[in-house]
Amino acid sequence: MTPQTLAVAASTISASKIYGSGEDAVYALNDVSVEFYEGQFTAIMGPSGSGKSTLMHCIAGLDELTKGSAIIDGVDLSTMKDKGLTELRREKIGFVFQSFNLVPTLTANENIRLPLMLGNDKGDEAWIQNVINTVHLQDRLTHRPSELSGGQQQRVAVARALASKPRIIFADEPTGNLDSTTGAEILSFMRKAVDELGQTIVMVTHDPVAAAYADRIIFLADGKVVSEMTEPTSGKVLDLMKTLGN
Amino acid sequence: MFRIALKGIVGRKARLILTSLAVILGTSFLAGTSVFSDTLTRTFDNLFSDVFKNVDAYVRSSQVIEADFGLEERQRISIDLVSVVENVPGVRDASPDIQAFARIIGKDGKPLGSDGQGPPTFGSIGEEFAGALWTVADGKWATASNEVVIDEASAKAGKYVVGDTVKVVAQSGSRDFTLVGIASYGDVRSPGGATFALFDSATASEFLTKPGFIDAILVSGDGSVSDTKLSAAIQAVIPATAKTETLTGAQITLETQDQIGSALDFFGILLQTFSFIALGVGCFVIYNVFSISAAQRQRENALLRAIGASRKQVTRAMLIESVAVGLVGSTIGLVAGIGLSSGLSALLKALNVDIPSSGLVVNQGTIVSTIVIGLVVTVLSAILPARRAGKVPPLAAMRATALEIAEPGRKRLYGGLLSIALGIAIISAVIGGANNSYLGFGILFVFIGTIVLGPIIARPVALFLGRPAARFRGITGVMARQNSARNPKRTSRTASPVLIGVALVTAVTALAASIKGQINDVFTEQFKGDYAVTTNNQFTGGLSPSLALDLNKLPEVDKASGIGLITVKLNNNGQYFTTIDPGTVEGVFDLGLINAKYSDLTPDSIFLAESYSLRKNLPIGSNVTITLGDATQRELTVRGLYKFDELAGNFVVNRAMIANSAVVNFDIGVYIVGKNGVPDGEVQAALDKAVKKYGQGELLSKAEYIDKQSGQVNQLLGLIYGLLMLSIIIAFVGIIITLLLSVFERQRELALLRAVGMTRSQVRTTVRWESVITSLLGAVLGIILGIGLGWVIVFALKDQGLTSFKLPVGPTIVIMVMSFIVGLFAAIYPAWRATRVNILDALNTN
Repeated sequence: MTPQTLAVAASTISASKIYGSGEDAVYALNDVSVEFYEGQFTAIMGPSGSGKSTLMHCIAGLDELTKGSAIIDGVDLSTMKDKGLTELRREKIGFVFQSFNLVPTLTANENIRLPLMLGNDKGDEAWIQNVINTVHLQDRLTHRPSELSGGQQQRVAVARALASKPRIIFADEPTGNLDSTTGAEILSFMRKAVDELGQTIVMVTHDPVAAAYADRIIFLADGKVVSEMTEPTSGKVLDLMKTLGN
Repeated sequence: MFRIALKGIVGRKARLILTSLAVILGTSFLAGTSVFSDTLTRTFDNLFSDVFKNVDAYVRSSQVIEADFGLEERQRISIDLVSVVENVPGVRDASPDIQAFARIIGKDGKPLGSDGQGPPTFGSIGEEFAGALWTVADGKWATASNEVVIDEASAKAGKYVVGDTVKVVAQSGSRDFTLVGIASYGDVRSPGGATFALFDSATASEFLTKPGFIDAILVSGDGSVSDTKLSAAIQAVIPATAKTETLTGAQITLETQDQIGSALDFFGILLQTFSFIALGVGCFVIYNVFSISAAQRQRENALLRAIGASRKQVTRAMLIESVAVGLVGSTIGLVAGIGLSSGLSALLKALNVDIPSSGLVVNQGTIVSTIVIGLVVTVLSAILPARRAGKVPPLAAMRATALEIAEPGRKRLYGGLLSIALGIAIISAVIGGANNSYLGFGILFVFIGTIVLGPIIARPVALFLGRPAARFRGITGVMARQNSARNPKRTSRTASPVLIGVALVTAVTALAASIKGQINDVFTEQFKGDYAVTTNNQFTGGLSPSLALDLNKLPEVDKASGIGLITVKLNNNGQYFTTIDPGTVEGVFDLGLINAKYSDLTPDSIFLAESYSLRKNLPIGSNVTITLGDATQRELTVRGLYKFDELAGNFVVNRAMIANSAVVNFDIGVYIVGKNGVPDGEVQAALDKAVKKYGQGELLSKAEYIDKQSGQVNQLLGLIYGLLMLSIIIAFVGIIITLLLSVFERQRELALLRAVGMTRSQVRTTVRWESVITSLLGAVLGIILGIGLGWVIVFALKDQGLTSFKLPVGPTIVIMVMSFIVGLFAAIYPAWRATRVNILDALNTN
């Protein structure tokens, strides 16, 4: 598959995020134009402070760009107000965070259906069951987050992100708090979601092993896209990171 | 450590403000009520030292009957004594004094001043006297029997000018006078808002009391001898048979101040009691805030412990913080309280109570006690949370603790149950016949037990109350319900102030409903008339006895019977005797006579309540000796017993017994039955006209009359509600503070919810319903407790004649609705804060 044949799920055009002004201005993002393709697993990598999280937050409607635009499903986010953005996040975007992904007072089942329930939407029950089965949570549905292991919690988070059939899922260091075995499990689930369920996933990570699960990697440094890689392996990623580091 | 504590305080101003708020509210009520009652006392002290400023000696009768409610009936003295006193060496001037009931009727026929409530309406003597405080501002003193002088305030209110004809009502009836002067009192237009009609001494004596009698003689000395010697000299000259006593000016001033003082003391104690209840409620809020803040700072404290701070140091840091909060809070509270009391004074002014202002009285005692109490209460409330903070293991610094999870322990369950059991045991003992005074302890134990059990009860009850929210509000309702149950300790601590406030309100309401029900039953049973003429002036005067006679003569009236009240000495105790007219009372006022007829009540007879007759072993045929107000004795024979003693009391006598005595004779009510066949409208019109002629008394239908009796309970109820508002306000603020702290604590959770698509209005809904559930939790438990409490109090009062407990259904529903609304309002600001959570900042805090 080549990028040209794929539909764009989300993109930025000359996106800049600037803190301060004049001589003190700091560019968290500097004129970034990227496209994320449908049905692909894209990883964003880069050292701390490279702007990878900021980029994700801006495309996901959690943060605002200073200049340029972020587009999801053909809609320019800068034209939307809080209510619209909230609905967009609820209906078109799924989130997996590094930690504190779940509402402690709700059961696993309620957490999975949370975005749907917030929108008063029953959702596609067959799809939800499919998702739950895929992440092997059938017998954990009535448990509360405090009764689940870290890996189980992240699986619930992945299931929640998938449940509403979003256009795109954003994952921010989803394995950052997990041991390598559990992390690998979560990443394979995400891979499966792309391959078998046709989902679109964008993941921010600094871990080459995690990034190797992606179809494509975008490298950021100092707020700019510095490189791109398709069909990565952890070895190739490490090599590229070394050259970028220099 | 001290410095770390101080830095912690300064670094978290929001927390300091929130914690202080509870202290400020509690102490400001305390200081405010204390300043207010001190100011009132000072004001009245000044007023009465003014009244007797120029009086050096005060002559009055030594014959006095003291009865219940601190009232006394003092005999009058002969007006002839004035000339005797005037001739005593050292006397410059002597003036007769009368202070009796009189009402000035306005040009529109309505009496000036209020009837019974508010400042009294007086008739008095206004003459040239060296010690007089009254000065004629316009015109001259009254010198003839058809002349009157009125106070400036009344003249203004009634738009009277010198030369007008003024109708005045007094004990002996109503009469028209020519207004010859308008007087002012010292530098105010009238003392304390009272109305005054002033006459010459002969007219006053004849019109206001009994011809030839006065209340007292005011004496002004010429300065040649001391007041003490002057008084002794006067007393020595007056014949012993006149039965007088002579006080110095200082003595009469002090006596009057004491009388007013004890009435004001009662008022002050009432205010203080309720502000202490409010402060107690405030303790929960303070305790709650410290607990939450200790939980939120767990990691910070653990870090301190990890790097070498001892338990004691961590605890101490928190206590230092509480001292700062206590000092700041109670100092602001003191200032706010002073402001509050000047607000109360302004309110009195607005209600037209023209008291000479002497400025706010802020005693040193008030300042010291406010700050000390505020400080002690704050530090005490902080001790437990501070100790808990010290117990944090250093390892907690490394753990991610998202929730303050606190499972209520066994000890709590047993302790709470034990306390409730003990309370119930005491209450049962009282019901079984033990002394009523133990009741308070029983109630206290039940309250403590309920509050101890609070955290255990809170979860299931909150989940139950939250059901409708979860059902009808979707996921936001589900989360609100879960949030209100997630930390039962915190929820119950927040609900406790509501619980206490609601329990007290409910108990008072239940008590009032029972009293009203009782009044209704008693009057329905015993009052058989169609109409009643009443007066609110039951203690300073009443209806003229001739009113009943006049009404009886009306062709539209079948029967009109006057009921009176006299103070009598029996076995050296003051007692109230009810006087009736046996000729007309039958079918109008039912005593429930046992084996007797009303006609048996001859002037030398007495009817006794059956229970009293049994208790005192006074059967029919036995004799009792009584002393009347004029110091004469009467021998009465018991000729009948009666069942219904709720209205009549223990003693009923024939009004003819006092007909030819010097005893002040008036009716407190006239009960009327219309003539058969005459339409109600005509009876009412005829009565109305006759009553109007007297310018006094209020004509009421049977239903109105009964309503009015229970209406008096409503007034008291209103006052108590007002005072309990203090506690409710604190409970309200408590919910706001807890919600705010919870919102701060759940920032990450809120951020997550916002990230996955919760709208701002859904965030608000969640917080709002959590608040409503918490408030309702307090209200439901409070209502249950309050009804129980009300029942127990009603039971304890059965000796006072309260027999049936009535459930206040309507008010209970109102309380629930109010709690719902309180919950909604308390959530406004915290909910707004919750929507302002910055998603990225909160998510990035790891």
